[in-house]
Amino acid sequence: MNKPVQAGSSSSSHALAQQQLIKMPYAVFLGMSLSVGPDGLETSTPSRSELIGNTNLPALHGGVIGSLLDITGMLTLVFLKALDQSPRLIDMDIDYLRSGRAQSTYGRAEIVRGGRRMANVRAVLWQDDPERPIAIGRLQFLLPKI
Amino acid sequence: MSLFLKSLKELPPFGQALGMVLDEADTGPGVAVLLPGAERLSGDAEDEVFHTGVILATIDNTAGWCIRDHPGYAEGTSMATLDLRVDFVTPASLRETLRVRAVCEGFDGDIAFVRATAETLNTKVLIATGQATFMLGTPSTPNPATPANALGDSLE
Repeated sequence: MNKPVQAGSSSSSHALAQQQLIKMPYAVFLGMSLSVGPDGLETSTPSRSELIGNTNLPALHGGVIGSLLDITGMLTLVFLKALDQSPRLIDMDIDYLRSGRAQSTYGRAEIVRGGRRMANVRAVLWQDDPERPIAIGRLQFLLPKI
Repeated sequence: MSLFLKSLKELPPFGQALGMVLDEADTGPGVAVLLPGAERLSGDAEDEVFHTGVILATIDNTAGWCIRDHPGYAEGTSMATLDLRVDFVTPASLRETLRVRAVCEGFDGDIAFVRATAETLNTKVLIATGQATFMLGTPSTPNPATPANALGDSLE
């Protein structure tokens, strides 16, 4: 069984998520960081020229937005279920709601249903206002075998 | 391959940063993009496989290009991805090069539907499949009247 999240274990879950982040070269390349507050895990990614898809607007590349949803979902799963190995993303469905401007992007996720082998995760990204998301994602993860 | 793709000089900055290359030798259908493995694209420092987000980004990019290659597409028309679904069938080793192929299956001037596959270039293993919908004719420049809101609502 996956280790359950125990009262008072938030700091060790935080450490597990942080370890997953730094051993993921692509997440480091994107410039992602994470923080844990009273409302749970939040990712933060500053904009830079390499992340742009449309130079006229300018707007973040759709692949950057998809990647931030993917990694935010994965890190949240690691955090909430205190996983010491990475879950594997099986499939993902993204709705692009607004164009991502060339500014910092924040992400959060929740486990819609966490089973023994699979977890269904919903992730959301925003920039200025959490009430105005730029994209949402539905993700299915296969959990690591224990 | 259309004149647009043959004369394609400018990758979006993110495509360039990942190392995407248009497969100019490809004869179709649709458009094919190559992505050689590289350390920064890794999902796990120990496993050395392409991160799922990298595969997704290449599918998104190739899907957009195959619309610009469609005979009905008027050069200069801007577009936005509405949604994208990707199935990650098999993890792909970073020692491989990925080839992503996207084919536009429906196009009516407002909306375009695209299907895409990612496979390993040499061993031809299916890595991922994707399905995307795009809206055409979205704003392509910032709206000077309401700079605070214009970009955030470009799909509305």
